[in-house]
Amino acid sequence: MGNYPAIMRSKWFLPLFSLGLGVVVLAVSWVGGSLGSGLVSLAILAGFGLFILLAGRSETIRGLRGDGRDERFAQIDLRATAVAGLVLIVTLIVAGLTEIAQGHSGSPYTWLCAIGGLSYALAVAFFRWRG
Amino acid sequence: MKNQVRALRTQHSLAQGQLAEAMGVSRQTINSIENERYMPSLPLAIALARYFGVPVEEMFSDGELSGHHAV
Repeated sequence: MGNYPAIMRSKWFLPLFSLGLGVVVLAVSWVGGSLGSGLVSLAILAGFGLFILLAGRSETIRGLRGDGRDERFAQIDLRATAVAGLVLIVTLIVAGLTEIAQGHSGSPYTWLCAIGGLSYALAVAFFRWRG
Repeated sequence: MKNQVRALRTQHSLAQGQLAEAMGVSRQTINSIENERYMPSLPLAIALARYFGVPVEEMFSDGELSGHHAV
């Protein structure tokens, strides 16, 4: 009774995702010539992954980690994502308007607002079409 | 939405964790359903009803339409 693929319901999902992201940030930082900050990012992300892995068995931790995901957590996840998206879009609108009021073009905030708005409209059209 | 999950579970001497494991959900999800804080999906509602061998409409009801048959 879950809406997640098996790999996302493993307790290793978020820890390994964090570690993998840390390795990617390290590689990109290395390419960009800032190996030091890449190593710091890797340490932070690996530390976060380790913390989540060992953090215990509360429902919130298990849901975030992966092993506590079921259909109710999927609903919680969807609502939390909607709240985070709303906060992000409001922040971008305010930041864009502030930039424009200061005589700047509003970029990149206005571009990010446009991407967000377009993505939302396309997603609505897609899910309406899919039924 | 009222439900009989707690009544049927205790009648079958099951712990929330045991029912949760049988349904493939967390114990907290069963607890939330019993306390009417979470309405299960149709597949989970059907699975619960089948598990206890009762019709879905007997396990879940809105409290107003029970006993009435809409045409």
